[in-house]
Amino acid sequence: SKDEDANILNMDFPWTINRDHSKQKEIADWLTLEIRDFVSYISPNRKEIELRNQTIGKLRDAVQHHWPDANLHVFGSYATDLYLPGSDIDCVVNSKAGDKQSRNCLYSLASHLKKEGLAEDIEIIAKARVPIIKFVEPLSKIHVDVSFERTNGLEAAKLIRGWLDSTNGLRELVLIVKQFLQARRLNKVHTGGLGGFSIICLVYSFLHLHPRILANEINPIENLGVLLIDFFELYGKNFGYDHVALSVMNGKATYLPKSNWKELHPIKSTFQLAIQDPGDATNNISRGSFNIRDIKKAFAGAFDLLTNRCFELHRAKLKDRQGCSILGNVIKYRGKARDFRDE
Amino acid sequence: SQCPQKWKRIFCTRCNSKRHSRDRCPSVWRVYLLKDDRPKKRKKLILPMHSIYCYNCGLKGHFGDDCDLRRSSRVPNEDGSAFSGDNLTNSLKKEYFQ
Ligand SMILES: [Zn+2]
Ligand SMILES: [Zn+2]
Repeated sequence: SKDEDANILNMDFPWTINRDHSKQKEIADWLTLEIRDFVSYISPNRKEIELRNQTIGKLRDAVQHHWPDANLHVFGSYATDLYLPGSDIDCVVNSKAGDKQSRNCLYSLASHLKKEGLAEDIEIIAKARVPIIKFVEPLSKIHVDVSFERTNGLEAAKLIRGWLDSTNGLRELVLIVKQFLQARRLNKVHTGGLGGFSIICLVYSFLHLHPRILANEINPIENLGVLLIDFFELYGKNFGYDHVALSVMNGKATYLPKSNWKELHPIKSTFQLAIQDPGDATNNISRGSFNIRDIKKAFAGAFDLLTNRCFELHRAKLKDRQGCSILGNVIKYRGKARDFRDE
Repeated sequence: SQCPQKWKRIFCTRCNSKRHSRDRCPSVWRVYLLKDDRPKKRKKLILPMHSIYCYNCGLKGHFGDDCDLRRSSRVPNEDGSAFSGDNLTNSLKKEYFQ
């Protein structure tokens, strides 16, 4: 609500405002409730969703107007509802002729969008492995990336939407891990960080291989707190990055000794994350994430911070717990004040 | 090996472990809310052994904490993690460790 906005802006963990869980008997339940509050806080409200859809609609119309045989599609985190506030929208232009990836096409679409008043701060990156144009849509201020003549992003989005439907807790934990890595600048593949799809695979695999979930004992949604700590423990302390690859084929999460990954032959046993691409068994989707050392360290640090905070608050008197945050020890949210998504 | 910590007697009165003190017991936070505690409603749990994989060696049939091979990660795992046969309900523990 409006009168609290001033407070929110100066606060590192605004998702705790008016939502005190310090009276929970179990510390794990307190953390679960905080995770749900965080997710509800950063999730887009109806107005933001409308603005986003209008923006995409206008861009799609403009592309079709410019090239009648082409269409603009959204993929990436906006297509799977796994984006953080302020994330870029990833779009792709595909056409019947399949000829829109040339340098000329990039420039011609960029100038068309500019003329229509749909793009400012345009940047054309024509020389990259995947050429794109980047711009800001002036009305919504949303940052947009457009690539050309590619379908793998769309296929991945479809796959991920299926995983989200079948896997309780996947969305919540992915959003937390994303926010965690983003704050530490470990979420950009071009600097060796973990990309969105890799994060999703890590969480998906974790959830499907967890003993309590395997045995059908728990509902992940009711156990997000302990599961988040278990996640940081697995990938921060215990996972054998040297020898083990992750695989999700036909929805089934398994591990694979790197030496047995026949399709990707020969694979070296090195300290490197390896995730088999569900769409192409020969492809390691995390091959760009060369900075796994820092990522592992960050996860291990998060485990220590969270468990230490749990011990501390477990010992504390009820009156000293009030207004405290557990999640705030590993995740901060700074930026414009937001309203909680109306539930 | 000269670390004085080693000679301090550590004991946890929550879980009888000698690896941590009571106020740093993992059982403070490693608490799961089970699906349904009423025995009548609870279906018999089955452990799908074919879906168990080891984070240490990548092979099927055991959890990473219980792997016989040399530990791959250099971070020590003294207290046990979630990926352990010990992190199963008692009825399933028997099935797993048999
Ligand atoms: Zn203990
Ligand atoms: Zn093993």
